[in-house]
Parts: sequence; C-alpha cells; structure tokens
Amino acid sequence: MRGRPSLYTSYEQDSSLLNTPVKRFWVGALLATLVVAPFRLSPDLTLLLATAFIVSIGAIGLNIVTGYAGQVSLGHAFFIGIGAYTAAVLNGEPSTTSDVLGYGLDMWIWLPAAGLMAALAGLIVSPLAFRLRGLYLAIVTLGLVFIGEHIFREAEVVTGGVGVGRRAAEPELFGFSFADPGTVLGVPLARDQGLYFMALVVLVVMALLARNLARSSVGRAFAAVRDRDIAAEVMGVSLRKHKLMAFTISSFYAGIAGGLLYTITRFLEPSSFGLLLSVQFIAMVLIGGVATISGSILGAAFVTLLPRAIEEAPRFAPFISASASGGFLTTQQLEQILYGVLIVVFLIFEPRGLFGLWVRVRNYFKAWPFSY
Amino acid sequence: MKVKLMTLRTGPLVLLVALMVLLSSCSGREDGGGGDDEGDGAIQTDVGVTEEPCPDAVNEDHGCIYLGTLSDLTIGPFAALAVPITDAQEAFWNKVNEEGGIGDAYDVNVTEFVEDNEYNPEIQVQKYQQIQGDILALAQTLGTPPTLATLEFYKEDDVVGTPASWWSGWEFEDNILESGTNYCFESMNAIDYAIDEFDVTSVLAVGYPGDYGGDAAAGAEIAATETGLDFLGAVETAPNAVAGSQEAAIQAVLEAQPDLVIITTGPAEMAEIIGGVAARDFEGRFIGTSPTWNKGVLESPAAPAIEALYLQSSPWEPFGAETEGHEAMREALGDIDPNDGYTSGWVWSYPLKAVLEAAYENGDLTRAGVVSAATELETVDYEGMLPEGAGSFSGDPNDTVFREIVITEPDESAPSGVTTIEEFFVGPTAEGFEFTEPCQSAE
Amino acid sequence: MTRFLQSAVAGFAQGSIYALLAVGFVIIYKSTRVVNFALPGLMILGAYMVVYFGSVLALNFWLALGLAILAAALCALGIERLAIRPMIGKPVFAIAIITIGIDIVLRVIVNDLLGSNVRNVRDPWGLKTLELGAVVIQQRRVAVVIAAAVVVSLLLVFFKYTRIGLAMRAAAFDQEAAMAQGISVGMVFALSWALAGGLAALAGMFVGTGSGIDQQTAFVAIKALPGVILGGIDSIQGAIVGALIVGLFEGFSNTYQTQYLGFLGENVSQVVPYVVLFVVLLVRPYGLFGTPEIERV
Repeated sequence: MRGRPSLYTSYEQDSSLLNTPVKRFWVGALLATLVVAPFRLSPDLTLLLATAFIVSIGAIGLNIVTGYAGQVSLGHAFFIGIGAYTAAVLNGEPSTTSDVLGYGLDMWIWLPAAGLMAALAGLIVSPLAFRLRGLYLAIVTLGLVFIGEHIFREAEVVTGGVGVGRRAAEPELFGFSFADPGTVLGVPLARDQGLYFMALVVLVVMALLARNLARSSVGRAFAAVRDRDIAAEVMGVSLRKHKLMAFTISSFYAGIAGGLLYTITRFLEPSSFGLLLSVQFIAMVLIGGVATISGSILGAAFVTLLPRAIEEAPRFAPFISASASGGFLTTQQLEQILYGVLIVVFLIFEPRGLFGLWVRVRNYFKAWPFSY
Repeated sequence: MKVKLMTLRTGPLVLLVALMVLLSSCSGREDGGGGDDEGDGAIQTDVGVTEEPCPDAVNEDHGCIYLGTLSDLTIGPFAALAVPITDAQEAFWNKVNEEGGIGDAYDVNVTEFVEDNEYNPEIQVQKYQQIQGDILALAQTLGTPPTLATLEFYKEDDVVGTPASWWSGWEFEDNILESGTNYCFESMNAIDYAIDEFDVTSVLAVGYPGDYGGDAAAGAEIAATETGLDFLGAVETAPNAVAGSQEAAIQAVLEAQPDLVIITTGPAEMAEIIGGVAARDFEGRFIGTSPTWNKGVLESPAAPAIEALYLQSSPWEPFGAETEGHEAMREALGDIDPNDGYTSGWVWSYPLKAVLEAAYENGDLTRAGVVSAATELETVDYEGMLPEGAGSFSGDPNDTVFREIVITEPDESAPSGVTTIEEFFVGPTAEGFEFTEPCQSAE
Repeated sequence: MTRFLQSAVAGFAQGSIYALLAVGFVIIYKSTRVVNFALPGLMILGAYMVVYFGSVLALNFWLALGLAILAAALCALGIERLAIRPMIGKPVFAIAIITIGIDIVLRVIVNDLLGSNVRNVRDPWGLKTLELGAVVIQQRRVAVVIAAAVVVSLLLVFFKYTRIGLAMRAAAFDQEAAMAQGISVGMVFALSWALAGGLAALAGMFVGTGSGIDQQTAFVAIKALPGVILGGIDSIQGAIVGALIVGLFEGFSNTYQTQYLGFLGENVSQVVPYVVLFVVLLVRPYGLFGTPEIERV
C-alpha cells in the first residue's frame, strides 16, 4: 500500500526479501550503479572494488559464524589460506615446469573445490567449539592461525615456502578468461572490468544464499545458540549440529573468497595468512555490523578502500610525506595509525558498526520531520 | 506476530561506498604516464616517458623518464639498508639530471613511483602492478625472492630492472641489470680466503629461505667439494618477524661446531646468531654477505663477538673507499649518516644509466628498445667502483660474469663500520668454475 | 644432560618474561573484565622507554628502568582513560577489538621512534655467563627469573595485605558490591592498567637483553596469550604457571625439535604453545586454574 510501507498484505510479502516497492527500487538502482561503475572508474579503482567484493564474501562467512552463531573465531585467515592454496594447486601449471604442485584444472572445478576444502577444514575444527566458549575459543582459533601459518611455511611443495611464494589461480571458466575477457555481448572489457563482474556475480549469489540462510530456521537456530545456548538446547536446538554447520558454512565462504582473492594479485606468499588478516576480518565484521549481511559488505568495503583513501592524504595534509624517509610520518604509518584509531573511535561511538549508523539515519528519515 | 526482517539497506550502501570511491578517485595520478607519445625527432617512446618535464625537474626543458622503485622501506629485514639504497639512487639520478640527463633531452625521475614491498613477493607483485603502467623501467627491485616472483611479469611487460640483490641467476636474465659478483661466487671466494687465512676444515651455511640463502649455500657447497672441506650442511632460518628468534639457528651452529660459517641473513638476525653462539664459547669464524651488515650492529650487545669473529665478503668497497665513484657519491649525498646501503644503491645505478643512454642513441626509448639496448651492453663505466671488465651484459654468462670480491672487517672508526682488508681478488674455485646455470644446491 | 638443563633454564627465563606479561593481562581481566590485546604495544613501548632513557639520555640503567616503568604505567593509564573508560557497559567483544586498534597505533608510533636499526637496552648483563658445574647459564636469564619472582611475590603481597590490594580484589569479585562499600572502582581500573603497563615495560626490557629490540620485537608478546589461556584467564597463579609452561616447551622445542622431530619443519617452537594449549583445553576447558563460567538461563 502506498504510504504504509510496513503494512504487509500477504504472508508471502511479509517473508520475501524485497517486499516493498521502495526496496525494489533501491536495489535496482544499486545494481544499476554497480554495473555501470567499472566503465566510469579508473582501472585500479575497479580492481579495488572487485577486491572489496571478494573480501566481502569472506566477511559474510565470518559474520555467519561470529555474528549470527556467536562462535568467536579468530581463525578465519587459516580458512582463507586453505581456499587460496587449493585453488592455486588445482589450477597451477603442471609440476614439470615449476617446483610447486599444479594440476591445471578449470575454474568450475577449483572454485567450488576451494570452498569445499576450506569447509572440510572448518568441519574438522568445529569440535573445538563444542567444548570452548568466548575468549578461550577465540585464542584457540588464534592458535589455529599460527599452526596454519606454520603448515603453509613448511609445505613448500604446495606453497613455495616462506619468502618465496607461488603463482595463484587464474580465473578461466570453460576457456573464457575473466582476466582477459576481450569483447562480451558486444562490449569490450578490460582486465579489471572482467574481474569486477566476476566478483560482483559471485558476491550477489553468495550474499543471497547467506541472507536466505539467516532468515531460515537454521539462521534462527544460530541466533538462539548465540544468545542463550543452554536455553536453546533445552528447546531442542541441537548445539553441536548448529555449531558444526556454522563453522562449515563460514569456512566454505572463506574458501571461496580465498580462491578468488588471489586471481587479482596473481601471486601468494605464506605469511599473508596470519593474525593480521584475521584481525582485519574481525574489524570488517565489527565495523560493518555484527549479524547483518549488508553490514559485512559495508565493513569489507570500508576496510578495503581505507588504505587507498589514506594514500591520497598527502595532498591534503602536507606534513605527511609520501617518501620513505622524509616527513614526520609516512603514508604507510599514517595508514596504520588511522586504521587503528578508526577502529577504536568507531566502536566507541557506534558499537553496532556501520549498520547501526545506517539504522539511525534511516530512523531519522523515517520519522522526519518529527524528531522522535 | 510480524517478523522483523533485515533487508538490504541499499540507499546508504550506495551512498557510503560511493563516497569512499569518490574520495579515492580524486587521484592525482595519471593513467599510464606518457601513453603513446611521439618524441621529437626520431626518438620513439611508449610507456613511462613524457615530453612534459618531471615534477620538480632540474631541467625544465627536458622531457621525463619515469623509473619505478620496489624496495623494503619499512618493516622487512633489510629496511635499514634499503632506505639508504633508495636515497642514494635518488642522489645518483639527480646528479645525472644536473649533468644534462639522458642524451641532454630527458630528465630521470625516481621519486614519483616508489613502493614498499616489505621483502614480500606477494606485496611486490601487487605494488608492481600498481605502478606498471607508468614507468619505463625499474631503478630498483629489491630482494631475490620478490624479484623472482615479479620476473615473469617483467618479461611479459618488457621492463628492465636493476636488482638490489646478488643472486647468481640474474646473469642469465636479459631484463635484469645486475652489478658485481653474486652470492655464489662470493661464498666460494670467502671459503678460499678462509682456507688461506684461518686454515679451516669445515663449513656450515646459515641463511634465509629461497635463493638468497640458497645461492650462498650452493656456493659454499661447491667450494667445499672443490677444496676438500667438510660441508656440514645448510641451515635455513628466517627473519625474526617469521621465526620469532634465531634460537633454533644458534642451536644448529652449536651442534655442528664448524670452523667457518657462511651467513646470509639480515643484520639483526646475524647479530643475534653471532652473539648467541659466542656467549656459549663458540670460536668459529663467520663470513657474511653484504646484506648481513648494518653499522648499527656495532651498538648491539653482540658487538664484541662480531668484532672478533665476523668478516664480510662484499662485491665492492665500502662507503669510505677512495675511488672516483665513491667520492662522487659522498659529494652528492652530502651530510648523511654513512651506511653501505648508499654505496650499493649508487653502484647499481650505473648500468641502467648506460642502458638508457644507449637506448637514446638508438633512437628507441620504448620498453622493447630499452631491453634490446640492455642485451647489447658491453661495458659500463663504474667510475672506479668496480674494476674494468665488470658490466658486460652481452655474451655468454660464463665469460661475462664478474667473479671478484673484496673482504672487509668491522671497524668502528670507518664511516660505514667496515673497512677493506683484502682488495678485489678471485679465488681458485670461483676462477675455474663453469658457470652455465644459476648455482644449485645438490640437496 | 647439560643441554637439557641449559634448555630448561632458557625456557624458564623466556617463560618468566611471558609471566610478567600474562600477570598484567590477568590483572586487567579480573578487575575490568576487559580482554587486553594491547600487550605487544605496551611491551614495545616500555622497551623503547628503556632505550630512550638508557641510550639516548644515557642515564644509569636502573634509573632508566625505573623511569621507563613509570612512564609506561602512565601511558597505560592514559590509554585506559581515553579509550577504555567510555566503553564501560558496551559489548566485551567490541572492547577487545578496541584494544587491538590501540595496539596497532602504539606499535606504529613506537616503530617510528625506534627506526630501522636494532636498539640496545644497555642492560648490565649483556652476554655474560655464569657457570654452575658443567652448565653454562647466561646471566640475563637468571636475572629475569629472579626479577619475575620478586615482582610476582610483591604483587601477591600487595593484593593480600594492603588496603588498595584488597579493594582491587573486591572489585574483581563483584563490582557493584565493591562500589556499594565505597571502593572507587574507577581507581581500580586505572591502577590495574597502570600495573599491566609497568609489568609490560619490565618484560620489554628483558626481551631486549641479549639481542636488542627492533620493529619485530613486539610480536614476542603474543606468545604470552596461550600461557594466559592455559592457566585460566582469571587466575594470577594460572597465568604464571601457564606462561612458564609455554616458555619451557618453547625452549625444549628450540633445542630438540630439529633433532627428533625434524619432519615437522623449522621453527616449530612458535606453534608449540598452541598445541599444548589445545591439549590442555581438551581436558580442562577453562584452563588449569580458571573458574568455570556458571550461566543462568
């Protein structure tokens, strides 16, 4: 009904994703903007957005296990690494020409395989969550990251070894290369645009799946496990099964994200999958908003675009030097400080993250011109 | 009961992301500096060369050649050396510009596209792809593993690079303009020297993973086989950021008890290892490659041990030496805290200057033109910093590779903390070695 | 045998450093329920202060150490006031991430001040050794064990016999009841952070003995975390025991691992604390001395 957006006149309308014309309009506008964007922005910005999309997939995964199901996991970097290396090994050049493993398989094999391998790892790791809670679980998953780092370092036949690294997977699906698309549907696409669309499509699919998960009975069970796990068990929600599912699904997402992420940078090295990466993902989830899908995407976009925004800083603040040894602070250091400060400030003023910020803005406009 | 759903918040999603994108898109950077400019007269250019003067140009009427730098500027194990390397190169090219630039038509800019690779191959590839569209060649690509990682991209893009690394494999790569000998020959010569001076009977190699440590270890093994020394193995360690501490390497050295250790790590790790083994009464000698040295280690607790046990094998003489090139370098740098990073950065830049000048002479400053000029280069004038005969890039590697080194020892009074004790020499092992491929370890 | 003893002493010494950090962590956790991931930053800050007072200002070592501990404690206090105090009542997880943010900021600032060279803390022990029979022990290792033991005993005495210590214990037990009794909980918060800062500075100084400090040294502090969890995050004795266990295992794996378990690869000692942690937590999910959470539904 016009003017009464919260009046749902059918059960179907109540439970569907895009249940009001306003929402449908805005989603359409968003998709249109996203499709047009790569033709307007410079190549490295397009690539940056593609990276942000892929990273969002990982952030959604972490939100599923930490935000929706309440199982604090600092081990996300480990699963991303597994996904990345599975993809690299399955797609890499056959071992006769390089000293690392490679099987030269196509994307329709390595992408799901990356997700599945990571999901398998998540499955194996999930029993930790049966026994441990809160900080104990967090530190143990942190241990997982360190053990994973160690394995990646030592498994030279897979990873090339620390400080050396190996080539990552190439995004070629049935002979069509997203990195070198040529002309598609009459439109010439450059490398960055091809990768952008690949990332966008995968993100939309995965985000829809996650959203559906969240509003299904499984999602409600997750929320019960998060909020009051003993009460949930009493009500008949199987804790074990749902914790297992949460870790497995989250790791699947991490694997997909890991596999895709390195198609952009084309090279990976074992020490990338450490504490820092895990912390970045936690930051994305917290800054974006816990237990929301769009929050994960917002948070991921924020964290990915932030370094680039800061790189432009020297033009606005002359005491910051872009060169290695001049000035009071280099951009690198400023970026890191700003990163830390922003996390702190953000969480102090809006613990519900960007999503919470959005809720405030939306409520303001909903009630406008009345202030309460 | 109405179920409150969380729906896609599209409006602000667009707004916020658009805001960040807008902010980032206020970029001062041009896409692909230069494009397809036609030079004046017959000079062809493609990427990285413009007719407009460089920002802050020395000669306002010259065009500009952009060179990129990929170096370990902040947190990698060689940052203490890499920052002076980069600064020395800036001073070198500034001097070149002041003397007329390339062909009296182009100034060279090495400050616009400087990126930090953190001694990490993955980051190196990322940063390379960021600057790739704007540069003609690379004034510096630091680190053996990072450069190896990007090497195929260099070949794809026809980019020539000056490595801040002394791996033996560079001799076989057309795109890489190495200077001085390599770690492999350095180790061979070091062992020959140690046999003469200290009568050693066993040798152990301790180094970083990948071809940096591996090259020296391979050289040590070859020399040991040739001279009949006992090769006790190659211990692989890693920068402290990865390994936490050098305790494991220290234990390995104490276990093996060699007479000589060939060490190829970073300076902090070298200090920790030597200090650690000396504290437990180890008396064997250490000969380290030049990236193991930083004057700052003389301030560390391991300083007495280092002064007693450590010597350095170096591809050229240290900062305070008396050659034309060294003096030019000191003058150009002015008042700085001396450090052999400056020496290396300065020496490395000579071949690229020769190549650019040759390419200009050929009328072809395109990427491909620079590559072909590089393959034809027969001699480089190092202004005395390297002897005659160094700097040939055309011809069979076995003939053109430079095999001589210098031995230096720690000396507090020297400007960069080391002083030469043995001038350029080549030992019998290196002299007679058939150089047909990068040094490989037998393991 | 001598190798075993030397290895054990080295491990014990390393464990003592972790113990200093772990105790600071637990003190903060007990009184404020805040998980503090800023320990690496605090430690490197303290270590830098020692370098500054000792090397740059060239003061006497002990004076420099005392000043550094005070300065670090004050900084920690400042951080608590600025960043943690406004977060009281907010979700615990968010506060933990805030401490990570603080850690990043601290490390970047201190790394900038440190520069790229290795810095010396100018300790009086250097690389000198002590001989007990056939066993050669480095003096600095003995020093850290003694220092940790002294400091921890002082702390325990402080908590048990002084009024302020009593106040802190009360606030750790039940904040509301303590406030009702007139204890200034804000003072307790501030004091616990200050104590942790001072302990971290001391630990940082000891980390700097033997090889100096540089930009990577901060990550040593992360290894104290498994020690804390191993012992149970709300028990000071547990923290000490856990940290010592972690240190011992690290020492042993440094010495013996390449020999006996070489197939595991290099530098396993980084990972060993977590493996030990897994094993212990399987048996005792709240750590060795931790109190199990009782949840009311």
